[in-house]
Amino acid sequence: MFPVLGVQGDKALRHLTLSPDIELVDSPRHASVLLVAGEIPADRFEPLRRVHDQLPYPFTTLWFRCEPWPHLENVTRIDDLDVLPAALVTAYHELMEGRRESSPRILLDKPPNPWEGAGDFGQGGEGMMGGVPYGRPMAMNMEDDIRDGLTLDSLTFRLGPFFFAFPPGMAAEITLQGDLVQTWKTQRAPYPQSLDPVFFAARKRLVPIAALELARARHHLYRLFHALHLAGLESASLSALRLANNLSTTSTLDGLRRYLSRSGFFRLAAIKGGELGPEQARRIGGPAARAAGLDEDLRSDDAGYRRLGFSPVCQASGDTRARWRQVLAEIDQSLQLARQAERDDVSTSEVDRIETPRGPWLEKRPEDASALLDEILPGQEWGDALATIASLDVAAVAEAPLDTQTTGESPITELSDDEGGPA
Amino acid sequence: MIVEELVLPVLMVFFMLAAGAYTVAVLDRVIAGALGTPQTGSVWIAPLARGAWLMTQHANATEAPDWRAWRLAPALYLSLAAIGLAVVPWSGSLVATDLVTSVVLWGSVEALATVVIFLHGWSANALFALIGGYRYVALGLSYILISMFVLIGVALPAESLQFTQVVASQEELWNVIRQPLGLPLFLIVGLGMTFWGPLNLADSADLAGGTAAEISGPPRLVWDVARAAMLVAFSGVATSAFLGGWLGPWLPGPLWVAIKMLAVLLVLLLLGRLLPRLAPERCVTLMWVILLPLSFIDLVWAGVGALL
Amino acid sequence: MIESMSHGIGVDIAFLLLATLAVVTAWRVFRTDSMVRASFFLLVSFIAVGVIMILLAAEYLGVAMFFMMAVEMTVMALFMVMFMMNPAGLNPMNMVHQERISIGAGVVSFLVLSAMALLAVFPDRPVSAGLDPVRSLGNEMLGDSMLIFESAGLVLLTTMIGVVVLSSHRGRYGAATEGSLPPGLESGGDPAGKPEEDEDGEDGGHHHHHH
Repeated sequence: MFPVLGVQGDKALRHLTLSPDIELVDSPRHASVLLVAGEIPADRFEPLRRVHDQLPYPFTTLWFRCEPWPHLENVTRIDDLDVLPAALVTAYHELMEGRRESSPRILLDKPPNPWEGAGDFGQGGEGMMGGVPYGRPMAMNMEDDIRDGLTLDSLTFRLGPFFFAFPPGMAAEITLQGDLVQTWKTQRAPYPQSLDPVFFAARKRLVPIAALELARARHHLYRLFHALHLAGLESASLSALRLANNLSTTSTLDGLRRYLSRSGFFRLAAIKGGELGPEQARRIGGPAARAAGLDEDLRSDDAGYRRLGFSPVCQASGDTRARWRQVLAEIDQSLQLARQAERDDVSTSEVDRIETPRGPWLEKRPEDASALLDEILPGQEWGDALATIASLDVAAVAEAPLDTQTTGESPITELSDDEGGPA
Repeated sequence: MIVEELVLPVLMVFFMLAAGAYTVAVLDRVIAGALGTPQTGSVWIAPLARGAWLMTQHANATEAPDWRAWRLAPALYLSLAAIGLAVVPWSGSLVATDLVTSVVLWGSVEALATVVIFLHGWSANALFALIGGYRYVALGLSYILISMFVLIGVALPAESLQFTQVVASQEELWNVIRQPLGLPLFLIVGLGMTFWGPLNLADSADLAGGTAAEISGPPRLVWDVARAAMLVAFSGVATSAFLGGWLGPWLPGPLWVAIKMLAVLLVLLLLGRLLPRLAPERCVTLMWVILLPLSFIDLVWAGVGALL
Repeated sequence: MIESMSHGIGVDIAFLLLATLAVVTAWRVFRTDSMVRASFFLLVSFIAVGVIMILLAAEYLGVAMFFMMAVEMTVMALFMVMFMMNPAGLNPMNMVHQERISIGAGVVSFLVLSAMALLAVFPDRPVSAGLDPVRSLGNEMLGDSMLIFESAGLVLLTTMIGVVVLSSHRGRYGAATEGSLPPGLESGGDPAGKPEEDEDGEDGGHHHHHH
């Protein structure tokens, strides 16, 4: 009953999350069906091949709004979101009943580097160790630990661009000591994300504030959905998603907020750290900046919003926890504004100065800020680091609004085969 | 004699393993469904369908793993769960193995579980699995200490290291009342030892499955079954140590044990679905700074109670 | 011990199998090429010995062997892997050194132990069937000192935790490398008990580059 695999083209992912027949998994090793959702840029083909080959036999692939590679035989391309769950289930059943051949491996099954051990035990070199078995140097060069002085062997690896906890398309090279992030280098920026069309409409003409604010609340709820899944609060993440899908001016956040504070999300979960300085906060903008205490919101300049009595909410500390409090507060505020605006039928009064959920849009759209992660993440534990990434909306805003877009998006699958540590 | 001493207990343990793991799967699915996870199909069939799916899937390979350890670890974990289930008494005489040191044997099951979980994560030769294994070891020591102190607490009034004696000593007053700190501590530790729900730090979502991130097919099935069976073993031990095991009015003893185990399982699984995953660092602090001193207090409490 | 009582052939078979397992895994400890494998082979060897002890009716000692050795070997493997520059202990390394001395020591101890096993006269004092081995072991080993011993154990544990806390960089007043300051004796006053020199002295020659 469960074909599997993470997706992006976020929309497809969210659609599948709520489909009862589909179980999405975070590791390609746990999947029977690989769903490639959305176009994959050519420079991510190599990682995709590796992910493809990590699925255990028998497996099959399904390509959603993406042209399958020509050398793959017998693959299905789906373009309609509504038939996608059924197509996945069919593919899975055919696979299990042996009516569909398993996809073949694309890459050769050999180590990326040859074995280079020497000596009686393959230890290489003189003495007890040495050499570079499989191209992995012995990690003799220990870096001093930045946490508590307990210097451990460090481990360098590359992750992404299909790792489920990263923004889609992002890849990074990371050095861990224990589970403490020692260094972080973002290698590939995430795909630009597409916003709701109403934000693009707002750049061209005056639009009703109610529509704008509902779209904003929805954007934040979708992010909350990802973060709660990561935090292990599956039911809360689903209710955030359902709330977002059925969002209207009568929706309230109270139930979800109560559940989050009662379950101890703010106290127990890995959401410590990730403080942004004022300079960093300005680079990323939007709710993250306001969570760091910057009182900047383009909505304050809009006469329509001023009529509704808008003033930005802020948090002080600028860490991950503050960002989630900020996001909850902003969702609340957006719903409030949407209700008032709908009643009084208020529209925006500015077209050149739009506050998107991602940040201010003046002359240019909000730009990619994933390089910021290199500064923030070192020193954090792995769980906290991933929670920080989830709380920061770093992807740039794409040129085209949601739905009409043709580029970007890919499977949210998972770890690029870890190739050990070229340090 | 061989039938009585060898075959019957082994059959009993196998039955408990199968029934227990199935019960956990069904209960967890029911709870998830009640909390809003979309589901189709019957909850009774779904675990079996999942098992069939994993049996069809091939076991995969990673680059240069330690094959023996990697394939053995799930099986070893399952056998540890079986040993745990074997010491749970269902009545004064119905117990798979009534060792005089069964409490200590359970302690060694906890300690060996640490080894097996580490081995499972380490041998895959993969990043996330390794981190998961490390995490478990770092935390496992505190779990073992707390659970040992708590269990010594229940051995004191019984003046025995035997679970049947521990249950018999609760004839007048269950340990859950006599030592009020014991059961809560033991349950928290239980979530940790079986890395379930909020304390699932070894196989956690932020590690894409942790020690199990790289396994598929039959090994994954065995690992899942073993984890569920370990949870059942834990609830069995909690039942015997704190909830008076087979003691209870009207109903026959084994039925009481089953009811109490189900209740403990239900609590554990509910906690697992309702709470967010703890940050590892906070978990260490919780264990060493709060729960370990509490377990000392529990022990002193039990000692004073035994003297009086 | 009680083994002089009747025991079935099953016990003999079990003993032979376990003894073989113990010897073979102990031999593997020196033939494997990874620290983790070596530790866990040693653990298997110890477990086999533990089961033999249970067969000898030393139930408590046998079971205690399981959990003590399990924790011990985990810690050993973990620390070796953490500190010893071998990617997770999966890359091969040479596990033997100082072979000559070890061989000599091994041969000598084997001869001494075999001589003892063959030549020594063991007492033959059957114990009563109703003896509770766990209780009598406790009385035999600790007797009246049980309370003192248990308290000492607890104190030792507390000491260990204290040492870990004290040696951590993250001290009570902030990171140890940053020259931690205790609070003043009166509010807003100078830090209590602080020598006059500057704070760099506390760094102890430890150079940390923060990225």
